[in-house]
Amino acid sequence: MSPMVKNQRYWNWAFMSVMFFFFLLLAQINWKLALNLGLGIGLGFALEKSRFCFVAAFRDPILTGMTALSQAVILLLGVSILGFALVAGSGQGYALNVYPLGANTIVGGLLFGIGMVLAGGCASGILMRIGEGFAMQMLALAGALVGVFFGERSLRWWQGWGWEQPGIFLPAKLGWLSTLSLEMAVLVALWLLARWWQNR
Amino acid sequence: MKKIWRTAVHGPWPYWVGAMVLGGLNILVLLVRKRPWGVTSNLQDWAVWLAHLLGLASERIPVSQLLLAEGTYLNLGVVLGALWAALAASQWRFRPLRQRKFGFSALIGGLFLGYGARIAYGCNVGGLLNGIASSSLTGWVFALAVFLGTWIGAKILLKFLV
Repeated sequence: MSPMVKNQRYWNWAFMSVMFFFFLLLAQINWKLALNLGLGIGLGFALEKSRFCFVAAFRDPILTGMTALSQAVILLLGVSILGFALVAGSGQGYALNVYPLGANTIVGGLLFGIGMVLAGGCASGILMRIGEGFAMQMLALAGALVGVFFGERSLRWWQGWGWEQPGIFLPAKLGWLSTLSLEMAVLVALWLLARWWQNR
Repeated sequence: MKKIWRTAVHGPWPYWVGAMVLGGLNILVLLVRKRPWGVTSNLQDWAVWLAHLLGLASERIPVSQLLLAEGTYLNLGVVLGALWAALAASQWRFRPLRQRKFGFSALIGGLFLGYGARIAYGCNVGGLLNGIASSSLTGWVFALAVFLGTWIGAKILLKFLV
């Protein structure tokens, strides 16, 4: 092991101690906030350790023809769809992310896609890379804060272009069974496509 | 066993392991918060707070409200979790900009992605992953638009930056 390794072991212990007391303090104020911090730490840890990156999942098939991460995102989508259906379908009081569909969705998606490639990370990816110590994503966060501010200011204007409100919740239109079958079929098709694309 | 522990701490985890762990945590966030994981709506609240501080916005979000918001701790957690992951493997270091043009690219890219995320109601997490996980048609349409945007972004990247 290099001397660097020994070096950061102490930093790691110091970091964990500070985190431990921060967590305890937060739990005394509100245990739910502490739980959210814990989940966030878990998500950040998992994102870093698995080099998970939504940008690469979308970009690499275009730039390098590799789809390993795209396939992982498809798996994540499948797990999340089924988990959400189980949780929200069996419990009360869950607010799912069903949002208005309109020109804002398309234009927003395009701008978001362009932006995340240039910034070297989407929103969660930027946060993850700030944790890793990347100066580039610290600048990207500064840009994103300005961007979300302007986005929030112009949401009304985009509403004027017409959108379907409050958004289309597929199980309400098709029923749960058809929705889940359809979504799983789409994911399997995308997965086969991704595999074919890489082995081409 | 020792080898598994070593990989868990030092990484890298196989992508499918990452996907399963992230999927499990994503579902846990829904159970705890009663609404899905998201990143940018909390960033937006902080941006409005900052704008008010600078005299650019009339409405005021009290900082106490932001410090008691669940989204704040999810976002802070992602930064700290990644920091911890790097530190645990003795891989943490400050990584300066390699070239000045990447700084401009980051600022402009951040501006675009922030604006896009807020008019479309979500980033890759809240809009794409959890829009789709919520079985909302918007999530699927957003994913398609993000893919097209990525394609345009990749063209720009190849032309000007690489």
